Amino acid sequence: MNFSFSEDQTLLRNSVRAALDEQCTPAHVRAMMEDPRGYGDALWGEMAKLGWLGLPLAEEHGGAGLGFVELALVLEEMGRAAYPGPYFASVVLAGLGLELGGSAAQKEKWLPAIASGRARGTAALLEDTLDWDPAATAATAAKTGAGWTLNGVKRFVPWAHVADVALVPARAPEGVSLFLVDPRAAGVTLTPMVGIDLANRWSEVRLHDVAVPADALMGPAGGAGPVLEGLLRRAAVGASAEMLGAARRCLDMSVGYAKVREQFGQLIGSFQAIRHRCAEMLLEAEKAHAAVYYAAWALSAGAEDATMAASVCKSFVSEAARQVCGDAIQVHGGIGFTWEYDLHLYFKRAKALEPLYGDAAYHRELLVRGVTASA
Amino acid sequence: MDLNYTAEDVAFRKQVRAWLEQNMPRQIKDLEERKVWHRKLYEAGYLGMGWPREYGGQGARPMEQAIVADEMARAGAPAPTNGLGVGIVGPTIVVHGTDAQKRRYLRKILTAEEMWCQLYSEPNAGSDLAALRTAAEDKGDHFQVNGQKIWTSGGATADWGLLLARTDPAVAKHKGISCFLIDMRQPGVDVRPLKQITGSSEFCEVFMTNARVEKANLIGRLGEGWGIAQTTLGYERGGRALARITSYAGQYRHLLNAARRLKRNGRPILDDAVTRQKLGRIWADLEVERYGALRVLTMLERGEHPGAGGSLTKLSYSEFEKRFMELAEEILGPYGQLTDGVPAEYRLEVDTAVGDHGTWAYAFLWSRAGTIYAGSSEIQKNVIGERILGLPKESRADRVGGTR
Repeated sequence: MNFSFSEDQTLLRNSVRAALDEQCTPAHVRAMMEDPRGYGDALWGEMAKLGWLGLPLAEEHGGAGLGFVELALVLEEMGRAAYPGPYFASVVLAGLGLELGGSAAQKEKWLPAIASGRARGTAALLEDTLDWDPAATAATAAKTGAGWTLNGVKRFVPWAHVADVALVPARAPEGVSLFLVDPRAAGVTLTPMVGIDLANRWSEVRLHDVAVPADALMGPAGGAGPVLEGLLRRAAVGASAEMLGAARRCLDMSVGYAKVREQFGQLIGSFQAIRHRCAEMLLEAEKAHAAVYYAAWALSAGAEDATMAASVCKSFVSEAARQVCGDAIQVHGGIGFTWEYDLHLYFKRAKALEPLYGDAAYHRELLVRGVTASA
Repeated sequence: MDLNYTAEDVAFRKQVRAWLEQNMPRQIKDLEERKVWHRKLYEAGYLGMGWPREYGGQGARPMEQAIVADEMARAGAPAPTNGLGVGIVGPTIVVHGTDAQKRRYLRKILTAEEMWCQLYSEPNAGSDLAALRTAAEDKGDHFQVNGQKIWTSGGATADWGLLLARTDPAVAKHKGISCFLIDMRQPGVDVRPLKQITGSSEFCEVFMTNARVEKANLIGRLGEGWGIAQTTLGYERGGRALARITSYAGQYRHLLNAARRLKRNGRPILDDAVTRQKLGRIWADLEVERYGALRVLTMLERGEHPGAGGSLTKLSYSEFEKRFMELAEEILGPYGQLTDGVPAEYRLEVDTAVGDHGTWAYAFLWSRAGTIYAGSSEIQKNVIGERILGLPKESRADRVGGTR
C-alpha cells in the first residue's frame, strides 16, 4: 500500500509545472483567449519535445507508455495553469480512444502522429440532448458500397477546429459504432460554440452525408459501447485531474490573498469567517486529490473497482472544484470578479469541465447502480 | 503509487480473520465479559499493537493495527475496553513517564486490570481547554486537587485518570498547567454519570474535592502539561482509519436494504431519483473517506506523522458521519427514531464505536458528538488555517497574563 508519488512521478510533476510556469503564464492564456486558433505552436512543440503528447500511448507507437497516474499529474498541472490548447482532446480523447478501440492499422496511422504532435485528434461524444450514455447516440451511419455515410449533429466537440481526426459515434444498422472522421471532409460543417472558458474551444460538428471509407470503422459495427464507456471513464478522471489543478490554484491564490489583504485594520485571514472557508477549501482539494489519484491508479492497474472509482472521482471532484473555485471568488471579494485579475481563468476552467464526461448527478446514478448490484 | 495491499498484509488479514472466527464472542453482556474479551485480544497480540515490545506491545506497523481493527469491524466483533488507556494514557506514559511510572502502570493498562479515563475538559474549558481552572496545589509531600471535570468518557468505570490541572495561576494560561495520574478510587473524587441526548451515559462529570495526587504521579515537569496534552492528542495513529469506513459501509448496506422495502408514492424509495442521488453522493463521500484513510496509512507506514493533517481527517469523517446519518433518517422515516421495538428489518446490526445499541436512532444521535469531541470542527478549521495554510492568528486577549 503506497498512496504517494514515486520519485519519477514527482520529477515529472515538477518538470511539467516548471515548463508551464514559464511558457503557460496567465499572459499566454489571455493571448490565446484572443487568438483565432486558440493555442500556440511554440508550447505545442515544447510539449511534443518533452514527451507529453505521447505520455500514455504505447511505446511501439512513439509514446512513453506511462500510466494514468502520470497522465493525471500532467493534466492537474494543466488545470493549474488553465492551459489553452488541444492536449486533452488529442491525447486523452483521440489517443486513448484509439488505444482502446483502434485496429492495428488505425493505431499505426494515428498514434505516432498524435504522440509527435504532427496531428491532433478529438472525440465527438455529445449530441443535442447531452446524454453521455453511448446508447443515446442519434447520429446515423448507413452502409454504402465503398464504406459508410454519416449524418447527424455533434455538440461541444473540443478543439475540432484544429483536429485532423475525430472519433465519432454513430448508429449503424448493427448498433452504435465508432468512426474516424476528418473534420475537414466534405459534408462536415464546424461552427464555434463559445463558452465562458475562452481558453477552451468547442465546436458544433454537423455531418451531412459525410462519406467515410470502410477502414474508418473502429472495431466491429455495433460494438462501440465498451470502447466509449472505457473512454468516458478515462476522460472523466482526466477532466477531474484538470479540475483539481484549477481548484488548487484557486485555493493558493485565496490563501495568498488572505495573508496580505487588510480590512478593519487586520489581515482578513485572521478572521475565522475567512480562515474557516480556506480550511474547508483545503479539505475539499485534498479529498479531490485522493479521488483523482485513486481512480487514476485503479484505471492503470485494472483494479476491480476502477469503474466505480471513476464515477466516485468525477461526481466528487465536479462539485468539490465548483465549491473551491467559487469560494475563491468569495474570499477575494470584488477583485475576484474583475476580468483583469486571473482568478476567473481557473474558475472557468473548472466550470467548463464540470458537466463534461458525465456531471455529478450522472455519475452518482452509476454509483447507485453499481453498489445495489453488488449488495 | 500502488494501492494494492502487500502479500504480507493480505496474509496477516487472513490470519486475523481466522482468529476472529474462532475466538470472537457472539455477545457481550457486561463489563466483566468485555474485559475477558479484551484480555483474549491482548494475549493474541491484537491489542496495544503499536506500543513498544518492552512495554507489552507488538511494535506493529500502523497497517497491521489498521487491519486488525478493520477485520473486527467487518466481523462485527465487540470492541475491547479501556480505549483511552490503551490509546492515549499508555502512549503518554511511554513518552513522558518515569521508569517507575512505566513499570507501575503500563502493563495493567494493556490487560485492563486498571481502567483509565482522561480528565481534560471542564464546564468553562471546552474548546478553550487551556482555560481550565481545576487546581493542583503543592502540599509538600503531595498535590491537593480541587475542581470539576466534564465529558469524561469511562469516568464511572475508571480506576485512574490522566489529569490536567493548573499548578501556577500567575503565568500565562498555557504555561501554568501540569499533567498528573490521579487515583479515581478515593474519597475526594466524586464521579456522576452525565446523561446525554442519546439517553445513555458514555460520559461523566468528575468532582474533585481535596483529592490527593502523589508527587510521584506528576507526568513530565511542572508547567509542561499543555505540551504533553498536545502530543497525546496526536497519538491517533490511524488505527481505526479503515475500521471506521468498514463500519460505515456495513451501515450503508443496511440502509440500502431498508430503501428496497420502504415505499414512497407507490414505489420503493430505492427507485426514487432524488433518494438515489443522495445515496450516490454518500457512497462517493464514503469512498473518498476510504481513499483518505489509505493516504494517512501510507504516511504512517513511512514513519511520517500527519501532524495538523490529522485535523483534516477528523473534520472530514465527523462531518461525513453527520451527513450519512441524516440521509439514513430521511430514508427510514420514523423507523430511524425508534429506540425500542425496532422491527428486525430496520435494526442496525453493526457494532457502533461506543456500544452495542443496535439502533439507527442511537447512531444518528451519536453522530452529533463527533463534530464536538476531541476538538470541534471549528477548532479543527482554526488548526488547519493556522498550521497548514499559515494564515495569521486572530488577535486574542488570552496569550498573555495569568488566570488568577
